[in-house]
Amino acid sequence: MIRLKKDTDNIMTIIFDMKDRPHNVVNHEISEAFVPVLQRLQEEKAQGQLRGVILTSAKNSFLSGGDLGYLYDVDDPEELFQQAEKLSHFFRALEKPGVPVVAAISGNALGSGFEVAMACHHRIVLDDPRVRVGMPEVNLGLMPSGGNVIRMMWLLGIEQAYNVLTSGRHYSPQEALKVGIIDELANNQKELMEKAREWLLSHTDWHRPWDQPGSEIPGGTANDPKLILKIRSMAAQMAAATYNNSPAKRAILNVLVQGSKVDFGTACRIENRRFAHLVCSPTAKNMISTFWMDYHAIKTGINRPRGYGRFRVRKVGIIGSGQMGSGIAVACIQHGLSVVLKDVSKAIAERGREFVSQRIDQLIQEGTFHPSEKEQIMKRLVTTDKAADFKECDIIVEAVFESEALKQKVTTEAEAQLDHYSIIGTNTVSIPISKLSAGMQRPENYVGLHFFHPADQVPLVEIVRGKDTSDETIARAVDFAQRIMKIPIVVKDIWGFYAGRVRNTYILEGISMLQEGYSPALIENSGRQLGLPHGPLELADALGLQLVLKYEEQAANHYGSKYVQHPAVEVLKVMLQEHQRTGRSAKAGFYEYGEDGTRQLWSGLTESWPNTQKTYDRQNLNERLLFSQVIEALWCMQEKVVTSSAAANLGSVYGWGFPRETGGVIRFIQDYGMDEFMKQSQQYHKKLGQRFRIPKVLKELMLEPAFLGAKGAVE
Amino acid sequence: MNDVFIYDALRTPRGRGKQNGALYEVKPVHLLEVALRALQKRSGFNATDIDDMIIGCVTPTGDQGFNIARTAMLEAGLSAANGGMQINRYCTSGLEAVNLAAAKIAAGWESLSVAGGTESMSRVPMGSDGGALLNDPGVFMTQNYLPQGVAADLIATMEGFTREELDAYALRSHQRAQKAKDNGYFKPSIVPICDASGLPILSKDELVRADVDLERMSALRPAFTALGQQGFAAMALHRYPEIEKVHHLHTAANSCALADGAALVLLGNAEKGKELGLKPRARIVNCTTVSVDPTIMLTGPVAATKRVLKNCGKTVADIDLWECNEAFAAVALKYERDLKLDPEKLNVNGGSIALGHPLGATGAILLGTVLDELERQDLQTGLVTLCAGAGLAVATIIERV
Repeated sequence: MIRLKKDTDNIMTIIFDMKDRPHNVVNHEISEAFVPVLQRLQEEKAQGQLRGVILTSAKNSFLSGGDLGYLYDVDDPEELFQQAEKLSHFFRALEKPGVPVVAAISGNALGSGFEVAMACHHRIVLDDPRVRVGMPEVNLGLMPSGGNVIRMMWLLGIEQAYNVLTSGRHYSPQEALKVGIIDELANNQKELMEKAREWLLSHTDWHRPWDQPGSEIPGGTANDPKLILKIRSMAAQMAAATYNNSPAKRAILNVLVQGSKVDFGTACRIENRRFAHLVCSPTAKNMISTFWMDYHAIKTGINRPRGYGRFRVRKVGIIGSGQMGSGIAVACIQHGLSVVLKDVSKAIAERGREFVSQRIDQLIQEGTFHPSEKEQIMKRLVTTDKAADFKECDIIVEAVFESEALKQKVTTEAEAQLDHYSIIGTNTVSIPISKLSAGMQRPENYVGLHFFHPADQVPLVEIVRGKDTSDETIARAVDFAQRIMKIPIVVKDIWGFYAGRVRNTYILEGISMLQEGYSPALIENSGRQLGLPHGPLELADALGLQLVLKYEEQAANHYGSKYVQHPAVEVLKVMLQEHQRTGRSAKAGFYEYGEDGTRQLWSGLTESWPNTQKTYDRQNLNERLLFSQVIEALWCMQEKVVTSSAAANLGSVYGWGFPRETGGVIRFIQDYGMDEFMKQSQQYHKKLGQRFRIPKVLKELMLEPAFLGAKGAVE
Repeated sequence: MNDVFIYDALRTPRGRGKQNGALYEVKPVHLLEVALRALQKRSGFNATDIDDMIIGCVTPTGDQGFNIARTAMLEAGLSAANGGMQINRYCTSGLEAVNLAAAKIAAGWESLSVAGGTESMSRVPMGSDGGALLNDPGVFMTQNYLPQGVAADLIATMEGFTREELDAYALRSHQRAQKAKDNGYFKPSIVPICDASGLPILSKDELVRADVDLERMSALRPAFTALGQQGFAAMALHRYPEIEKVHHLHTAANSCALADGAALVLLGNAEKGKELGLKPRARIVNCTTVSVDPTIMLTGPVAATKRVLKNCGKTVADIDLWECNEAFAAVALKYERDLKLDPEKLNVNGGSIALGHPLGATGAILLGTVLDELERQDLQTGLVTLCAGAGLAVATIIERV
């Protein structure tokens, strides 16, 4: 697990090399394994035979994160607190005796992996733009432990530590240096070890700032009246951004504030208690389950038809250089693919190049690429107005606007240039794939590829199976999406596919509340405060009321005589027919839009639907907004629109912003409690109608191990 | 229970509670000391007659810390007097001090007490005593605890008040205060602040301005927009999701002004008054404390008023004059509207918008103000109420005897 090497300068190199694992994982084993090592270091120090220590790794990564399977499983705060305390003691034993320790980091050091580096006196990182470091625990509803929130505060001050710890960022080495969480960069492995040795030779008996009498937290403590104003503002901003839905961010801020007022040791204990409490919170379990376990389940291919070799994409043809097409181009270019970007004229296609260029500049700013790489990267992008340039493409992604005829025309032209193995993906939100593929020579090679705006940033792609799409094409589309670091979920070719269909029920539920006499502001605030990015009415406006209605009409067709009209349909018809308010693009929908970009709820709403519900049951409204989505997602599973709870969960969070702290639509049920959820849904069913009926699939789901939270499925 | 009488009430002038205020050069304890010396001089009590002194002070730290009540007693040469205690019930402190002292007298445990409040906001800034409810994100985020100005804007939004209505109210406060000042209504109760040689530093309320006009007032920018945008408005919506947004309507002109000042009330039972040859000016009829939702925070006066009226079997019609502290225009306007008060009976000599609000002192100031005015107009009954931090409110009814 740990190998030791000592040189003639009395510098000890400690090499992490965990057995039977592809990566070094930080868990309680490592702190235990360290006990004899630390003892030996202390003995040698006492004998004057130890000058310094270098921590490094024999694996590709320095130390990857903590043992998430363990954190998911353990519900005992005492055990967690004791483990965190043990880790604290380990870190203290490493940094306190005054034997300088350097972390020589040549691969990823994230989460707990970086925490070990935090406990070193000096951090040097290999300047490879692919390396990532940082403490993004917050992304999984967690926070660092073992005193590393407090160390970060002592390094950067409360404000900057808060920013770094709540950002969830994986920093490139360049950026990490700029932010101040590492000390030095090295150009290559050899220089890395040399720099580590040099630092040790020039720093003897070195102590951390908090172990030096008289030193202070940069920027002051939370007792400082000036800083407290800043902290108030940070907290208010967090409240506005998260509506108190993020226990991890709150925990981090609170540990920083409280920890700044007491001595280092006590501060670490405050942190560890908070950590133990947080790990046991439903939010942390939900987020580990979805963003770690579900994510890896998708990544390892639960969606992908078996038996087809890996599709190695090199060149991608993109039709349409608008926002969507250019965004997709960025995603491809950024991950090493070549792109042919086509539009009606070369000049228009060039606008796409401009967009890609700007995004690459941003990535250079963030340290993802070196400035010197820009030219090479941009060379991989060709713009054109001729389909003939698609000749060598492995895949075509069509992203022109929503017109059936246009889409068919451009894809037919492209298809003529391709060989039999290449596939064509269409990025549509409302036209059935099976309809679009009708005129193709090889409809089996045609698939829906639904990216979400902004396409280079939203990590989800819906892969839509048309009636003719072959399994092999699906497998290839999945491989393509993975290649550009997207989460692919395979969905059925129905109205709105998965994300659009479920999202619509949220909108409709909000609209039906309006019809019942709830104030529109209440409806909107309820949605936003639950953690959804938009209120239901706001979202209806953004999509256009016509589309919202169209989706529901498609649902009506689908269910035929079994369909019971949603109460929101009535409201939509009044809005569209009586008031001619079609949505945001017409500057008139549920909101009215000022010339200056401001908007407010349309004053006419309360005339058509008077605010008769002066009092309200908040929980009830919140649950209706969430349950409507959860139940529709269950119907999607029942009807095999999506085929795994992992896909349903990730699709809900990334596809339309279902509150991430719930872990997604299906995880929501586990968190709520299966029996309680059934009981409550029955109540709503009785009171509000068929739309709250639960499909049978839920009972089947209960039997799935993945649904119950697969343990230790991934590392 | 024994009757509790007000034998006297007086105050210092109110100075602007900033570095450019006249009382900024005066140390906080001196304000209270001057008031106490004056009270003793006017009433002629001996140190040993005093059973206790209770002083409201909202920022009891630094120069106002370590029990400013006892400190002022010692400075005023009253070391032989009993007691000395500082209390904090936010902006109601000065009135709460009176109520507490009155309760002990009513119970028969004490005979003569000094109560009141003091605050030097120029020297000891509001909030400088810290506090978890203000500064600990773990507490104020959970409570959706807003800065008061944002809470006042929330009230205005929920009540549908317009900027024009708030400004018109502020103008009325200024005009009334100016008139009262011009006519010398405040003069009998004001104790000037002088230096050690007796040279005057401030002898009249500093903040009232004759030159207030609606046009300039309406040109002022809302004062709490930035705080709202920082995130506090979102916290307000979190608690009150039925409103679309918080309209920021309060400005420097229609909110109370920061101020320095102190006020004292001499309270006693009938027997002690007779012994000292004092003539009672009024009787404390009843008092109460309530709390409302801490997020909206400042709507308590209505509830406090209903409760104190009920306590003593009175109705709105029984009250001749009303004082509701003008923390913000929306607070007074809501009070007037909810209780359907005649505007000619509410805050008749202006209020904190025009005259300033020295936090801990204001409760006692308003009690003295209403008493003076009842005497001037020869009316009988007055009610004083103040809203306060964290949703608290206090109300007291007095009647002339």
